Amino acid sequence: MITVGIDSGSATTKGVLVSNGKIVAHTILPTGFDFILAAKKAYIEVLDAAGFDKEDVDHVYSTGYGRKNLTFADKAISEITTHAAGVYDLYPDVKGIIDIGGQDSKVISISKGKVIDFSMNDKCAAGTGKFLEYTSRALEVPIEDLGNLALGSKNPASITSMCTVFAESEVISLRARGFNKEDIAAGLVESIARRVAVMSRQLGLQENVAFVGGVAKNTGIRAGLEKELKISLYIPPEPQITGALGAALYGSG
Amino acid sequence: MQYFKSLEHIKNSYNGRICQIADYKRSGKKLVGTFCLFVPDEIIFASGANRVILCGGRNDTVAIAEQYLPRNICPLVKSSFGSIINDGCSGVRSCSHFGMVDMIIAENTCDSKKKMYEILNDYVPTHVIDLPQRPDGSTAFNYFLQELDKFKNAMEMLTGNVVTDELLAKEIRSSNEIRELFHRIYEFRKEDPPPISGTDVLKVLQKQYFLSSEEIKKILYMLINEIEMVKQDERGKPGKPRIMITGCPMSGGNTKVPDMIESRGGVIVAEESCTGTRSFWDLVDESKEPMVALAERYIKIPCSCMSPNLRRIDNILELARDFKVDGVVYYTLQFCHGYNIEKHKVQQALRKAGIPMLFVETDYSSADVEQIGIRVDAFMEMLS
Repeated sequence: MITVGIDSGSATTKGVLVSNGKIVAHTILPTGFDFILAAKKAYIEVLDAAGFDKEDVDHVYSTGYGRKNLTFADKAISEITTHAAGVYDLYPDVKGIIDIGGQDSKVISISKGKVIDFSMNDKCAAGTGKFLEYTSRALEVPIEDLGNLALGSKNPASITSMCTVFAESEVISLRARGFNKEDIAAGLVESIARRVAVMSRQLGLQENVAFVGGVAKNTGIRAGLEKELKISLYIPPEPQITGALGAALYGSG
Repeated sequence: MQYFKSLEHIKNSYNGRICQIADYKRSGKKLVGTFCLFVPDEIIFASGANRVILCGGRNDTVAIAEQYLPRNICPLVKSSFGSIINDGCSGVRSCSHFGMVDMIIAENTCDSKKKMYEILNDYVPTHVIDLPQRPDGSTAFNYFLQELDKFKNAMEMLTGNVVTDELLAKEIRSSNEIRELFHRIYEFRKEDPPPISGTDVLKVLQKQYFLSSEEIKKILYMLINEIEMVKQDERGKPGKPRIMITGCPMSGGNTKVPDMIESRGGVIVAEESCTGTRSFWDLVDESKEPMVALAERYIKIPCSCMSPNLRRIDNILELARDFKVDGVVYYTLQFCHGYNIEKHKVQQALRKAGIPMLFVETDYSSADVEQIGIRVDAFMEMLS
């Protein structure tokens, strides 16, 4: 049985090809404006990488924001359900998931791969990848470096704005008050970690928690989140693809 | 889902009602506007007046209200205020009935409404019924009874008619009849699959305080007849997740979240809200002195402005059991502090009872349809 999962996210589109329950290939590409085109590309890329044709594929399942608009998919499943299935496949003892993506962050409580409860950030960008994107721009630091920069701070600044736009101006005023880049970066990391930690505590996540989504690649954020939650997190080798993996696994039944 | 002719009737009832009100006013009778379940219809009708509900569910009058009111208060308060004071200059047309009321009968429930009424009084004469917010005990009861007396006097002043116990008793019977009819509709919803969708029931509930009681009774009888005719094979699929909505009211024009729930695989079987059970569940005791019986019935409405509001939690648990609810959608309007804060206690009680809950906070705009959609999808997948 060969199945493909496509995760049509707001920032990136992910594809995973699974053969008999095992990952054969995956791909990650920027979504851009035309998310349908990006999803089609991801499908072709993942087929090419695995060396299969469309005819070989039994099912394509979609997930993510664009999931309902992908006409080539057999079924659309929400990314909350697919992340749970994908992470459970990698860590069978997992009880909770923290997913920080491009425009939302979510916390999921799971039991044997099934969702028991979940919580998502409010309508705004607080605690999401967008927050980091905007604030790192104000620091003139590439987003990938923000976490590592934060690790070098001795005196983290306190950032209290939850609103992304106000946080950006807070960064500028901290700069005016003489804080260095490391300290402001550490403040930003702490702020996002606090935001997500509130949601995890609401759901009562305590141990066996996985951290996924694009932001999980950022070591500084990972460290900040572990410090805030006082636990060590499971980080999949490729934390961005667990949604697509879950979709592919649902496709195999 | 099933097509009901009586609902077509509801959909087309607006213009008829406006003509009816216009005729009514031409004959010298008075029309009052209300916002809230705490205002007993029985007293209004017994005085010979009629009433329409003024709770706004439209998004386009919010901007008009924001010229006077802060942005960060609930959309219901803003939409209602905007609809009432709208002079049409901004190009937005309010629904006609907002401009037709002779007096507003308001009530002190939440802070936003309370302070909004002070401003509203500059535009339309507004009588405010004060509510004791710790509703149990004789002090609260006596105070509420006095407030209802004052309200009765205000209605007598407005209409020039005397509100007698006989007239009240007749109106109590009539309103109880409507409540009994809603109970019959809800009884059908205990079945799996229910013969009627939640959004259909909501549309009737939303018109309950807009139409005359004769009209709403007629529609309810028609609907009950139609539901009884629905054959098993004409219903939807059994086994869909059975959802109860609890929280803020959904005023006329606002079916955003219920539409999402039922188009994404769920079926709504009960609403613990002002556009739901709170409006009809308890009957007025017809064996008691009318004003006392009214005060007893109305003071028990479990609005989140009451403290503590344990009655609401008991009701939620009881409804969840009786209607075999699989999951609860806790619906709040942005900045509705009462229901937003009360969520914590409700969530605790539901967790203890093993019933999953989804929290949805929204307003009247369509900006968050996708964000809420993903939560609803995931919740349905979780319950299936």
